[in-house]
Amino acid sequence: MPSDAKSRIQVLQGTLDLIVLRTLANMGPQHAYGIAARLEQISEDLLKLNQGTLYPALVRLEQQGWIKAKWDTTENGREAKYYAITKSGTKALGEETQRWRQMSGLVEKLLGAS
Amino acid sequence: MPSIRRVIAKFGNFFRRSRADQDLDREVSAHLTLLEDEFVRRGMSREDARMEARRAYGSVEQAKQLHREERSVLWMEQTIQDSRYAFRSLLKTPGFTAVAVLTLALGIGANVAIFTVVNAVLLRPLPFQHPERLVRIFDDLNGAGVKDTGLSVPEFEDLRDRSGVFENISVLWPVSTALSGGDHTERIEMLGTSFDYFNLLGAQPALGRVYDARDTMPGFTESVVISDGLWKRQFGGDPRILGRRIRVDEDAYTIVGVMPPEFRHPGPTLAGDVELWAAAGFRANPFPSPPQRAVRFLPGAIARLKPGWTIEQARQRLNALSAQLTQMFPKEYPAAVKWSWRIEPVEQNLTGNVRPTLIVLLAAVGFVLLMVAVNMASLLVARSSARMRELAIRQALGASRGRIIRQLLTESVLVSLTGGLCAMLVLWMTKGSLLALMPADLPRITEIHFDARVVVLACLLSVVTGILFGLTPALHGSRTDPNTDLKEGARNASPSLRQNRFRAALVASEIALSVVLLSGAGLLIHSFWNTLRVNPGFDADRLIVARIWVPFPNNPAANKYRNAAALSALNHEILRQVRMLPGVEEAAMGGNRSVPLVNNTVKQVVFSIPDEPNSAEKQRSAEFSSGSPEYFQVLRTPLLRGRFFTEADNLNAKPVAMVNESFAKQYLQGNALGRRVRFFGINWEITGVVADILNDGLDSPPAPRVYSPLYQGPANEMAIFLRGAIDASGLKQAVTRVVQSIDPDLPVYGVRTMREMMGNSLSRRRFSLSLMAVFGAVALFLASIGIYGVMAYAVSQRAQEFSIRMALGANARDILLLALRPGAILTVAGVAVGLAAAQGATHLMTSLLFGVSPADPITLVGVPLTLAVVALLACWIPARRAVRVAPVDALRS
Repeated sequence: MPSDAKSRIQVLQGTLDLIVLRTLANMGPQHAYGIAARLEQISEDLLKLNQGTLYPALVRLEQQGWIKAKWDTTENGREAKYYAITKSGTKALGEETQRWRQMSGLVEKLLGAS
Repeated sequence: MPSIRRVIAKFGNFFRRSRADQDLDREVSAHLTLLEDEFVRRGMSREDARMEARRAYGSVEQAKQLHREERSVLWMEQTIQDSRYAFRSLLKTPGFTAVAVLTLALGIGANVAIFTVVNAVLLRPLPFQHPERLVRIFDDLNGAGVKDTGLSVPEFEDLRDRSGVFENISVLWPVSTALSGGDHTERIEMLGTSFDYFNLLGAQPALGRVYDARDTMPGFTESVVISDGLWKRQFGGDPRILGRRIRVDEDAYTIVGVMPPEFRHPGPTLAGDVELWAAAGFRANPFPSPPQRAVRFLPGAIARLKPGWTIEQARQRLNALSAQLTQMFPKEYPAAVKWSWRIEPVEQNLTGNVRPTLIVLLAAVGFVLLMVAVNMASLLVARSSARMRELAIRQALGASRGRIIRQLLTESVLVSLTGGLCAMLVLWMTKGSLLALMPADLPRITEIHFDARVVVLACLLSVVTGILFGLTPALHGSRTDPNTDLKEGARNASPSLRQNRFRAALVASEIALSVVLLSGAGLLIHSFWNTLRVNPGFDADRLIVARIWVPFPNNPAANKYRNAAALSALNHEILRQVRMLPGVEEAAMGGNRSVPLVNNTVKQVVFSIPDEPNSAEKQRSAEFSSGSPEYFQVLRTPLLRGRFFTEADNLNAKPVAMVNESFAKQYLQGNALGRRVRFFGINWEITGVVADILNDGLDSPPAPRVYSPLYQGPANEMAIFLRGAIDASGLKQAVTRVVQSIDPDLPVYGVRTMREMMGNSLSRRRFSLSLMAVFGAVALFLASIGIYGVMAYAVSQRAQEFSIRMALGANARDILLLALRPGAILTVAGVAVGLAAAQGATHLMTSLLFGVSPADPITLVGVPLTLAVVALLACWIPARRAVRVAPVDALRS
């Protein structure tokens, strides 16, 4: 929504993949809606996305073999596609988190220095 | 980062895209349901919750698209989508599609057909190991202006033992022989070779063995190898053929091997494929022994260069060696004669004389395809004008210009691929009858077949043609402005001036292209007409030729006709008996090379004129043949001076000769009577001069020629000439019966009417002429359709204008001229450009022309005139329509 777009954070390309992976690692198997709701909740609505934009990230992660999808039913008896992190996904999460920390540390340093 | 894993997954998804799409639909709707549940839980009504869920989710279609782009190969999906769309839109306009596919099939098919021939004859390497190292060697007497005089045995041995550039070398001695010991006595083509011949070619037999260096001996070996064709025809494909005894020219031979069907001797032959190979050392009977350096009776040689030697290097080495030999043997090699060896690739020797024809045909057929493409472009421009609204709508809905161009290109490539496919199918189904249309003397004709290269070319040609004719119309079509083109006022989405101009330019270039093609066809037609009108030096009407081979055994004692008197008696007896055949009015016989228009490998013999100063050093050359006293009368060759041969010119009389007009002019300043010429060590006195006979082809100039009386010189290759109301179909049996009743070992062959032989000698010319004429006609047709299309459209656009003019008092003639003018301008412009281009293009054809120059005035006037008439007709039909429209109707519409 254009009115409050400024206060919201545009998610960096690639960052979303890392966030989704982290979320799945913490919460266990989750469907797309659950992931989206969780992201909104944690970011206290600062990070609000059209929920459909999650799909490309899920496709990428699945094709990398980092997550696995399976159809299941929710506690309310609705069907949903559940995504779960795989072993190689967990490993990738560690590496990517490390990379992200280095990167953000560097950016922080550069921004602080100027 | 696209890892390999993802690329594989993407391609996997491309092939499972409908399942992936279903899965996505299911996931999206599950997602929406969960969202909806959440909003209901927060206290909304179902209805509101559904709306809110949609809002929170965002655009469903966009999400799906993002998903698709991420998961699969986008361009492939789009191409499939475009093809499907193109297919549907082409089906909606079946008339356009049919015309497009047909003309493209014609253009592509013609190109593929000609390329198939070029590929087999000129491009594909000869079917031997390392064919690039195979060469032919010839003796030239450059000082006397004589090429290919044949080799002498010592020269051959120098090449073999002293040149150092050849791995192997073999004599080539094509000869007619009489084969008996099989099914029936038959004249067959034999090739005498050296022992290395098969080893040199790297050829293996299908059955038995081939002869090789271990068989070496001075004369002919007893072991011979036969062709697959002869094996099947004469011996019924008998698997126990090996060791079979046969008689060839009365000599006994043993068959030791059969070659596979695809094996063919790579070089010119006398008449048809080689069917029997025999090896000799060429140093003992039937060859002169000891061999003499100046007696060049070996017709030719084939050799394989040592690895690493180029033809150029070998040529230099042979030049050095021949210079050395010239110094060593001044008597055999007079300096003025400038004897030397010439070396050329086997391939060039085999196919060199058809190369210009095939290249011209390939160029012509390329022009036809170019015209088809231009015609298609013009059609597509017209079509994209009609589709302007559709394209504008697509653009308004968000299609980028690039995307629209791609869509239009997909359409044109689809059309041309369909055309190409149809062409391939038709070619495949008609290949038998197409091959039958080819001139039978085309070299390597049996190797013509489709291969991978042809199929690849057909596909490539289709795609390139599709892009070629589709690109400009696509660029034009995509340049729409939705704002104006969608407006109600844009009447029938009329095409812009720009597009009309573009179509006009296309039509003008079509006219130019067809001028080039028609000029080529015109020149060939004029050449052919010239060959038909040429005076061959004989009268072919009711004239029939039958040929006889008189065996020439290696063992002189076995030769029944060694004694010239015996041969003369044989000839007299044959003549006496054939005169009694039904319908025969006149009969004559001729000796070696007496049949006009028949190819002969050794054409020239060297002679001298004894009463000339330094006569021995001036080696002259001329063709030589012989005839019975009636020969020239039966052929109806006019006597210019002196007298014909008579029965009295026999072995007991002094040797006499007749010469043709070319000989008298070239060597004796026209005063031939009473002069003497020295051939084969004998002085012959010239007693008559006859008109030239075109022995080497109707389109070749006559060569100087000397004739001897048949009864004064022996001959093995004999011909019977019969004139009268004769039924040619049963004649072969009749003549065979007559000849074999005299001697059962004499095979009769080549029974043909002279008309038929004249036709055959022109078959290659007729073939290229017919193709060029067809290409020219197609070009003319395409150009006239193009002109008609543009003119009809222009007239319909200006109907209102014409009506107003007529209402204001213009008369029908004025309107007609007004309507014709743009077409006339187009035609004149196209013809002018075309004539300029034709001047360049037709120069490439010089070697195919006969009696016409590339700047032939008849062609240069006739072609533009034809085009102008056709073009004006194509303009006139729509223009007349403009006049006929009632002004009231046009103004109201």
